[in-house]
Amino acid sequence: MQDGASYQELSRRYGFAPKPVSASRLTQLVSRQDSDLDELAKVIDKDPSLRKRLLRVANPDAENEAEYAIETVEDALMRNGMGCVLVLAMSTPLAQALVKSFQTMLSLKLEDIDPFEAEPLDGEHLLGTISFSGKVVGRVHLRMNLASARAVAAGILGISAGELTDTTEIKDAAGELLNIMTGNFKSNLCDAGLDCRLQTPEMKLSTDFHTPSVPGGGLEHLAFRAGKIQLFVDVTANPWSD
Amino acid sequence: MPLKILSVDDSRTIRLIVGRALRAYDCVLCEAANGEEGLAAAAREKPDLILLDVTMPVMDGVTMLTKLKEDPELKTIPVIMLTAESGRDNVIHIARLGVRDYLVKPFKEEQLIEKISRNVTLQKKEAAPATAAAPLA
Repeated sequence: MQDGASYQELSRRYGFAPKPVSASRLTQLVSRQDSDLDELAKVIDKDPSLRKRLLRVANPDAENEAEYAIETVEDALMRNGMGCVLVLAMSTPLAQALVKSFQTMLSLKLEDIDPFEAEPLDGEHLLGTISFSGKVVGRVHLRMNLASARAVAAGILGISAGELTDTTEIKDAAGELLNIMTGNFKSNLCDAGLDCRLQTPEMKLSTDFHTPSVPGGGLEHLAFRAGKIQLFVDVTANPWSD
Repeated sequence: MPLKILSVDDSRTIRLIVGRALRAYDCVLCEAANGEEGLAAAAREKPDLILLDVTMPVMDGVTMLTKLKEDPELKTIPVIMLTAESGRDNVIHIARLGVRDYLVKPFKEEQLIEKISRNVTLQKKEAAPATAAAPLA
């Protein structure tokens, strides 16, 4: 049966889950360098969650909505450009893949929370980074405190946290979680014509909380919680690096 | 003779999950951490099935699959892709290379067993023999 089948036929044959339509639409719009800002604004304005996230990305120094200097979708698009919209579009499949990974691999319900409401990380934590390059360049960072990282690794491996004595196993499990997230968003980017290649994940213990944005790109902070486990994800990307 | 399955993935976590899923079945699991090691293991072990990741250091899964299909002794081994990447062009390219099936990460162990069972006959391990009952007085 190999194989001149279309993607739709292959998706059915392999039993792929449907892809998020709004994220694909937004990525396609952003991938066209001549996209109309009004068209983008309409898509974003129809989705309250996307609107909220765009304004959060457009006001990186504000600690809450009352401190926002940029208050409308149009202003955010004019001031911050398409880079920050691409980050939003990319973050959607990434967040969905993370939530699905928790459900599938750990049987835990992971909730998307406002980063302002999360308990901040303190001291040494596990930091995972995956870089990507091609028609779009950027990085995804995953951070967890060591207790969360241990609980996540134990859950994925199906053992108790006490049985995990080796940090290599913890790093490898968290690295695979990062791999799964970024693999899913890479597929979304490639489908929109923004071909890129992923590097293998780099996992390390860190005390540095700063995530620099790639030059000319947008940056979004995301946070998630499942019981005592908290995860922080930063996404930065520039779609017109070439 | 038990089935031989080769798992090629740079993540030890995924290889452990595959091993856990297959624990109840009569098969031998071989492992490789990249495409280059995977090709060597395929030539050496002649597995009945290969589970193959895409993004790996040294040699990625698509390159390994291409080389596998060029080798007359290895090209008939069924391959199931096990990867988080399901982009349109990648999936079409991999299908044309002759992959047998495709499972997107994250996956449940039951989904993996179901995909493997479509391609080879997995048999449950026989239960350990019961201790002989003491003779009745």
